Amino acid sequence: MEKKLPKIFKYVVLALIMLFLLFPIYWMLITAFKTNMEAYLYPPSMFPKAFVLDAFINLFTENNEFFVYYLNNFLVSFISAIITCMVAVFAGYSIARFKTKWSKAFVAILLSSQMFPIISRMISLYKLMSNMGIINTRAGLILAIVAAQVPFCCLLLSSFFVNIPREIEEAATVDGASRNTILFKLLTPLVTPGILAVGIYAFLMTWDDYLHAATLIQSDNLRTLSVGISLRYLGELSYDWSLINSISVVGTLPMVLVFFFFQKYMVKGLVAGAVKG
Amino acid sequence: MKKRNQMLSDNSYSFVLTIPATLLTFVFIIIPIIQSLIMSFQKYGVKNIISGKPGTWNNFRNYTKLFESNQIPEAAYHTLWFVLFVIIFQFIIGMALALVLNKEFKGSRFFRSIMMTPWVVPTVISGLIWMWLFQPQYGFVKYLISILSFGQVTDLAILNNPNTALGGIAVAALWKQIPLTTLLLLAGLQNVPTSTLEAATIDGAGAIRKFFSIVIPYIAPVIKITISMAIIENFKQFPLFWTMTGGGPNGSTTNFAILSYREAFVSMNLGSGAAVTTMWMIMMIVVVGLYQKYFKVQDLS
Repeated sequence: MEKKLPKIFKYVVLALIMLFLLFPIYWMLITAFKTNMEAYLYPPSMFPKAFVLDAFINLFTENNEFFVYYLNNFLVSFISAIITCMVAVFAGYSIARFKTKWSKAFVAILLSSQMFPIISRMISLYKLMSNMGIINTRAGLILAIVAAQVPFCCLLLSSFFVNIPREIEEAATVDGASRNTILFKLLTPLVTPGILAVGIYAFLMTWDDYLHAATLIQSDNLRTLSVGISLRYLGELSYDWSLINSISVVGTLPMVLVFFFFQKYMVKGLVAGAVKG
Repeated sequence: MKKRNQMLSDNSYSFVLTIPATLLTFVFIIIPIIQSLIMSFQKYGVKNIISGKPGTWNNFRNYTKLFESNQIPEAAYHTLWFVLFVIIFQFIIGMALALVLNKEFKGSRFFRSIMMTPWVVPTVISGLIWMWLFQPQYGFVKYLISILSFGQVTDLAILNNPNTALGGIAVAALWKQIPLTTLLLLAGLQNVPTSTLEAATIDGAGAIRKFFSIVIPYIAPVIKITISMAIIENFKQFPLFWTMTGGGPNGSTTNFAILSYREAFVSMNLGSGAAVTTMWMIMMIVVVGLYQKYFKVQDLS
């Protein structure tokens, strides 16, 4: 009896927290499959009475500006992730392997630049990027986003490079391999899990971006997902909650797939980055 | 001699490798931050962007105006309240979930994996999900509260009421952030040596005693990092506020992020927006600094 009570308490805690975390997802899913009439029932129905695809069909056929934003978001997130990975391989290896005066200063710069709010940067980037002629372009958006991901990602990847024994590198040097061969042909394949973690992290963070796109992009056909959704669908269509929930479902799906597919690397990378960094 | 050459090329090679990251960080982070610090002391509006004319010194007018109208103190209050509320509940709930999931039981692996779902939902979409749950006429939360209060509370409109709107956003933030907290704390918990815990059990220590004298000290570094990450993230929170309330009703959810965005990009008064972000950064540095200092003392004891 004495032992059973804490156990029951434990399951109650688990059930309550899991309900809090998962019920909103369930609610989003079922609302997306309800008719708009049913979404507006009060008291609400816990399961769709009529399971319909109306909202999704509407999204694909009529209100399909969404897919322009969606495609842009894919492009920007994917390219940002790749560039971030490349930059992080160079810098991460440098931080992990060489302890020079500059590398210490460099780490300090990376650590402090993680703190600054995006809006503070955007106020002057707006002008700077107009001067450079890359405002309202995908390239400009990608560069600004990559810069925001770089500090954390370099530090994260360096924690993977640190774990590679120095002997491997020394043996290759003796065999006459050049520095670039050692880094790109020998060491980079060894940190593949780290690169995956960095890439997925950068992808997820870019997919989630709001402020960069909101300030740097003005043309509707270049807009990314978060800004597109809040500008187009929150104003004029905010009465159509099954449509909004179907947008939420489609907008979340790639993140869920990417995350659960690469969960192993992602979790390892995040933990390594946070606990060691 | 040979060794010296090797050293030199070490230096230059390591430097060359950091060039892309350095360039990106300087051009898109450090220089813009310095420029907006300068801009915060200038009259700098949309005219200056169009004509390319530099801003003009305006004798701290950006700051004095924001303090006189009470906008900065209010934004500071909302920001701090939000950070504190989210951090406290995030830690308590995250720790509770981590402790439960730390033990192997049927389905524990499944729960560890599925609990991460809210973390991958894009922030704007989590805002939408909670706006729908909080919807004042047909929302689920209104229904739930009316049942739980036996029909006493029937007109719950969390996001439309200045007294509850900030709390409503905080719930959405908690929902999205608890998974990562749990994940990190769980990783910390798995490094607590079971032998020490067993020894304590043999010595007759209860679960609560064990938690505070063994588990907490062991995972203190993880807790420290988890909380400091959460402080920074919530200090900077913008999309949830912008989508869920836009800073309203009646300014009750206007934090630093909303105020600076509105000043700079809605009113197009960039100097004033820069002044807000400067105050915001100073406050963030102070809070994070105090936190680091306070936690160090805790570490030693």
